[in-house]
Amino acid sequence: MLETRIRNLLLEARDYARKQGLNAEFSFHRERSSLIRLGNSAIALSTAEELSRLDVSVQEGRRVGSWTLTADITSFDQLREALNRAAENCRNSLEKDYEPIFGAVEEPVDDTTGFDPRLETISPVAKSELCARVIKALKPRGTYDFSGSWSTGATEMYYLTTANDHEAYRKLTDGRLVLVLKDQVKKWELAVEKTQKRAGEFTAEEIIQEFEALLPIYEKNPGYKTEIGNQRVLFGPQAIAQLVSLCVWGGFFGRAYEEGRAFTSRNRFGDKIFSEMVTLIDDPTNPDVFGMPFDFNGKRRRPFPLVKNGIFTNVTYDSQTAAKYGKQPTGHDLNNWDLVFGTGTGPADLKSAMELAGNALYIPHLHYVHLPDPTRGIFTGSSRFNALLIRDGRPVAPLFSSRITDSIPNVFNNVVAVAARSVAQNESSTYERRAPEAQSVPAWLLCDQVRISDVADSF
Amino acid sequence: MNICSTVEKTVRTQLKRMLEAGCSFADVRFYDEDRTERLVLYDGNLEVNYQRWEKGIGVRVLKNGAIGFAATADLNAIPECFDRALANAEAAAQLLGFPKDMGSAQPVRGKYQPRFQQDPFAVPLPEKLSLLKRVDEKLKDNTVEHRMVSAHFQKRRIFYYNSEGTEIERWVLNTFAGMTVMARDKDGKAQRRSYELDSDGTGTRGFEWLANPQAFEVHTERIKRELGEIVAAETLPPGRRDVILLPGQGHLQVHETIGHPLELDRILGYELSFAGGSHVKPEMIGTLRYGSEKLNAKVMVVENSPGTFGYDDEGTPQYEYYLIKNGILVNVLCCRLDLGEANTKAGRVVVARSGASARAAGFYKTPIDRMTNVCIEWGNDGTLEDIIRATENGVILDMPVSWSIGSNREHFHFGCEIAWEVRDGRITRVFKNPTYQGHTLEFYNSLDMVGDRSTWRLFQVANCGKGEPNQIMEVGHGVPVMRFRNVLTGEGR
Ligand SMILES: [Zn+2]
Repeated sequence: MLETRIRNLLLEARDYARKQGLNAEFSFHRERSSLIRLGNSAIALSTAEELSRLDVSVQEGRRVGSWTLTADITSFDQLREALNRAAENCRNSLEKDYEPIFGAVEEPVDDTTGFDPRLETISPVAKSELCARVIKALKPRGTYDFSGSWSTGATEMYYLTTANDHEAYRKLTDGRLVLVLKDQVKKWELAVEKTQKRAGEFTAEEIIQEFEALLPIYEKNPGYKTEIGNQRVLFGPQAIAQLVSLCVWGGFFGRAYEEGRAFTSRNRFGDKIFSEMVTLIDDPTNPDVFGMPFDFNGKRRRPFPLVKNGIFTNVTYDSQTAAKYGKQPTGHDLNNWDLVFGTGTGPADLKSAMELAGNALYIPHLHYVHLPDPTRGIFTGSSRFNALLIRDGRPVAPLFSSRITDSIPNVFNNVVAVAARSVAQNESSTYERRAPEAQSVPAWLLCDQVRISDVADSF
Repeated sequence: MNICSTVEKTVRTQLKRMLEAGCSFADVRFYDEDRTERLVLYDGNLEVNYQRWEKGIGVRVLKNGAIGFAATADLNAIPECFDRALANAEAAAQLLGFPKDMGSAQPVRGKYQPRFQQDPFAVPLPEKLSLLKRVDEKLKDNTVEHRMVSAHFQKRRIFYYNSEGTEIERWVLNTFAGMTVMARDKDGKAQRRSYELDSDGTGTRGFEWLANPQAFEVHTERIKRELGEIVAAETLPPGRRDVILLPGQGHLQVHETIGHPLELDRILGYELSFAGGSHVKPEMIGTLRYGSEKLNAKVMVVENSPGTFGYDDEGTPQYEYYLIKNGILVNVLCCRLDLGEANTKAGRVVVARSGASARAAGFYKTPIDRMTNVCIEWGNDGTLEDIIRATENGVILDMPVSWSIGSNREHFHFGCEIAWEVRDGRITRVFKNPTYQGHTLEFYNSLDMVGDRSTWRLFQVANCGKGEPNQIMEVGHGVPVMRFRNVLTGEGR
């Protein structure tokens, strides 16, 4: 549970709000983050941040106001002021045309299962040593340079409201390492990514091996410029996670669905919208994801299927959208979900997947994806790291930058096979507050008739 | 300086201690007050009513050629924050590449405050909301299915100190606002038309700007009408044609394909694993033909812009300089830290001094190379009407809907809200779903008409994302109307 000093201050603030007759929600966030950033095979930057944030929200009938503070919480006076500001904000606000749903912690949560003190305090020296081993092993092989980053940290989230006496708390650690190897002359880039929940989950040797698996094909062959048109594509974990994010964004937000802006808006639950090999669940119980147990409306988060074997099952409603459209909130008052793309029956390893693919493009990573047309689920993005041309079941050449412009429904209807093995793909961003997020995705996804819309002469 | 004296005293002592500990440079940013307010009306409902207040310090030290950064919101733990920054620098020095070097600079003592009449945070919330509500009411129409009106205010007081004796107090004050109307076309596709608060680069930055009916409210009727035209229009047929970019689209084109690739940290490969690299290499500075003779890209100190802030986060005063002069790349966006590396890699001096581009998004973020006001100088090819008259087969494009850019910014694909077809010197009809794509250098080399001062507008970008840890920054782009020849437009399947 949260440190007693701050917890007591927050409980006192809740009691004070009740005495004032205020409906108030308090959400406290504390992070201890550190990051090393690599560039040109050296550490370019090493950072450490210790930050506390408090969000206070007050609801009065159809009015809502809030106040967010980034500062150390040291006294009750600070909390009282934050509450008064939120209350004033609420009073001066506009009435909505619907009744907002006030937050209440559904059941008490005190979850520290995802916390590893060794990962919280991993030193920049230890990180630097691991990276140095990788660089030392591979740099002499060619005109290579390394860049990347390794972010680790601990996050605490604590939520309570005046609606009841429950508290929801969770503390976890997370880490993400990305190492990029670039050939300075030939300009290609390879990347290895690792997601971690605890210290010591990977070694320098594993990373070296992952690079070594790709290096010969890149070292021995010139880049290949593929043709514009429909092609068979073998997607890798990062690309699959990008497709899942776009899919959820374009098709499974209740508001877009209700307003007819989602590519699912013309469908009813029960319709078959994707291949039966596609199952998408927001599942905080999946072992690959970081598993957020509650949301910031107090809902207990449980597995929430969006698509089951290609059948459209649900869309998500945050409390605002639920209130507006007369639905029940689904536990999605938060930015970081626990998305899972269900595994299939395809072989676990990439080599067998390539044999199965026959002639295809291997695109494990999509760069700068965007949804130009959410109503039809049309997305665009370019291949980047680790992309290969596959001929007769074998990788034969690195692939030049190739742009895919297609629709999510097309791609997810043209699934040929799905790996039986899952991979944790870190999708955290470090904008503003630390918010660990990972997806569980199959190690690969083979799709037919994917539209390549542009090809470059470079990587 | 009227900074809380204990913080100031502690900071000065700690800066001295860092020099004694072997650091060649150290600096501190103390955010005494950092306020943000966001208001969003969606279909008349106030769906975002967000106020944030931040306070804390960020410390950067340079030791043995390596940079360490630490930040804290706990003002009782300032010495510990310096210790963490020092430990970070010492750890980074263990895997050292090109040693970082701040060069030397004369100490600066300065103050900066943007021009404004009404502090948005002093304006009562009901007054702000009644303005937004009034705009929202005006956006109602039979063709409009959904409406959004938003305002976003920022106010910061930042004290900067470094070990060279520089001490600066500066205020940041920004007003952003936008409005969007949405409707589905006959194919069921959501279409939109929007307006973002822009200016001719002059004027004041406070609430008075937004409250001036001629600046903001005046656009409601136009965007409703144009949405109606988009919804009734056909999709832009694919093909090669001339593209006339209005500043609403031109500013993003410049942001993505001139601004980002000219950030020195990208050029040197420090952003590779995240945002990407650049097609520009240090040795190309001074020689690369980036565009046609008509292309003049310049960092400007614009009176009214979020990219104007007096001094950057290394204490360098802002000044004006060309990035691209008559089509030739002559400079890049840089701070003090990487000049030595760029010049060594180029084998000659390609960047002589800091471009005052070091900017951090908050006290808990470290300064990185950033855009400020990356502008295109206006030209002498007349007004928009003149450019239309001179165009046989083209489209006029405005406001981004989607964008996707190659990792080295060498190629791009943009979707826009609206296209007006130009045939034989006049506008003939509106098209929906316009897109265009190209390769950066080829595209800028096809620039053949640059509009005059009457076409030049300063657009504010409130959400430029970059860096790790990620940072969101506010920048400005002043651009005229520009015509590019023979561009690939539309989507063919
Ligand atoms: Zn940007």
